[in-house]
Amino acid sequence: MYGLENISAHNGWAISLVGITIVFTGLTLLSLTIAQLHKILDLWENKDKYINNRNHKTLTSTPADVAPQPGMPAENLEDIHQYKLIVDRLEQPFSLPKLLDIAVKIGLERPHSTINKLLVKKIIVSDGKGYFIWKLQF
Amino acid sequence: MGQLFLEFLSNTGFALADYRHFIMILIGIIFIYLGIAKHYEPLLLVPIGFGILVGNIPVFKGLGLGIYEDNSVLHYLYMGVTSGVYPPLIFLGIGALTDFSTMLARPMLMLLGAAAQMGIFLTFLGALALGFAPNEAAAIGIIGGADGPTAIFLTAKLAPHLIGPIAVAAYSYMALVPVIQPPIMKLLTSRKERLIRMEEPREVSKREKIIFPILGFLLCCFLAPAALPLLGMLFFGNLLKECVVAERLAQAARTSVIDTVTILLGLTVGASTQADVFLTPQSVGIFILGATAFGIATASGVIFAKIMNLFLKAKINPLLGAAGVSAVPDSARVVQMVGQAEDPNNFLLMHAMAPNISGVIGSAIGAGILWSFVG
Repeated sequence: MYGLENISAHNGWAISLVGITIVFTGLTLLSLTIAQLHKILDLWENKDKYINNRNHKTLTSTPADVAPQPGMPAENLEDIHQYKLIVDRLEQPFSLPKLLDIAVKIGLERPHSTINKLLVKKIIVSDGKGYFIWKLQF
Repeated sequence: MGQLFLEFLSNTGFALADYRHFIMILIGIIFIYLGIAKHYEPLLLVPIGFGILVGNIPVFKGLGLGIYEDNSVLHYLYMGVTSGVYPPLIFLGIGALTDFSTMLARPMLMLLGAAAQMGIFLTFLGALALGFAPNEAAAIGIIGGADGPTAIFLTAKLAPHLIGPIAVAAYSYMALVPVIQPPIMKLLTSRKERLIRMEEPREVSKREKIIFPILGFLLCCFLAPAALPLLGMLFFGNLLKECVVAERLAQAARTSVIDTVTILLGLTVGASTQADVFLTPQSVGIFILGATAFGIATASGVIFAKIMNLFLKAKINPLLGAAGVSAVPDSARVVQMVGQAEDPNNFLLMHAMAPNISGVIGSAIGAGILWSFVG
C-alpha cells in the first residue's frame, strides 16, 4: 500500500496530529513553568520583605475614622499607639514638624516613613490651615 | 602448497569483494574527508567513516568477524546500539555539557524547538506514503529531529534492520546542517527580519539552574514516559553539572563517558553499513526522506518564529527558528553565521541555543511518543 491510503490505514494522520500536539504541550508547559520559576524563587528568597510589605498595606488600608481591627499586625498598632501618645501631649491641631521632631528625639524608628503612612491613611489629616488633626479613635 | 596459496587467495578481501563494497568504502573515505578536511562534525564522521571501512572489508561468513555474526567482537560492541544503551549514555554527557541558561532566561524560545519537530511527524507521514511500515516510518521520521542518538535509539527499538541507513542519514545531514539550512532560512526571511536584534537575556540564578533539570524531567516524563531513557539521562547529566557538589561525576560524564560511547557508537554504526544490507532501494528512500525531514524541520521553526512575531511586541529574529532542529550546536552556529552575514554586530548564537536545546528535549519527547504509538 502506498500514498494516502497507507497513511490512513496505519492511523498516520492521528498519530502525527496527536504527536505534535503532545510535543507542543510538553514544551509549552515547561516554558510556562520556567517562566514562573524565577518569580517563585524570588518570592521565596524575599519572603520576609513581602510579608512586611503586606503588613504595611494592611496598615494603609485601615480607614481613618474606624478603630483598628483586632487582626491588625501588632507592629503597626504599636506605631499608631506611640504617635497617638505624642499627639495627646500636643494641642490639637498640632504642627507636623513638631510631631516629627519629638518622634526623632525619642528615637522612634523610621519617623518620616511612619508619619507619611499615617497621613496617607488619613489617621492624621490636615485642618486646611497648616496644622494637623489626629482622627483615629481607639 | 599451491593449493593452500590458492585457498588463501580465495579468502582475501580482493577475491570476496564486489562493486558494492568499493562504493561503501568510498562513502567511508568521503565521511573521513568531510570530518578531517571540512571539519563537519569530525567527532562523529571520523569514527563512522572508519566504521564504514571496517564493516565493508569482505570476510567469509562463519569466522565470527562480521558485525552481524553472533560471536564476533564487533557484534558485542554493536549490542550497545541494538539494545539502546549508547544513546542514553550520550544524552548523559550532553546534559553534563549543556548550559540551559539562555533557555531559562527566555523560555518562550522553547516553542521554536517544538515547532521544528513538525519535521518528524510530517516525514513520518511521507514515509508511510512511500509504503514503509509504521515502525519503519516512525524510525525514518525521527531523522527530522536532527538528533543522532535519538534517531539510533528509536530505530533500535522500532526497526533495528534500518539502524545503518538511518544513523548514517541522520549524522550525514547533521554534518551538512551548514549546507542544508542557510538556503531555506534565507528563502523564508526578509533582510529586515534577519537584521532583528535580540534583547539581552536576564541573568539566571544558580538555584534556577539546579531546580530546572528536576522540574523538567518530572514534567516531560510524566507527559511522555517513553522518553524516560533519553530525557532521564539528559536531565540527570545536567543536574550533575549544575549542582556543583558532584563535579567529579559531571566531569566523567562530559569527557570519558561521552567520548568512549561516541567512539563505540560511531564505529559500530559505521560498521553496520555493510554493502549488502546498506545499498538497497530502501536506503535511497531513507536518504531522500531524511533530507526532506531536515528541510521541513528548518522551515517549520522559521515559519513559527514569524507567526510568533505577529503577536509579540519585542520581535524575535526568525532565523532562531532554524535552531529548533536539535543538531547541537551546529544549527545554532548556522543561525549566528546567517545573521552575521547581514549584520556583523548581531550576535544570535547565545539566543539560538535556547531553541536548539529545547529541540533536543522536543525530539526526545517526539521519539517517546512514536515509540509508544507504533512500538
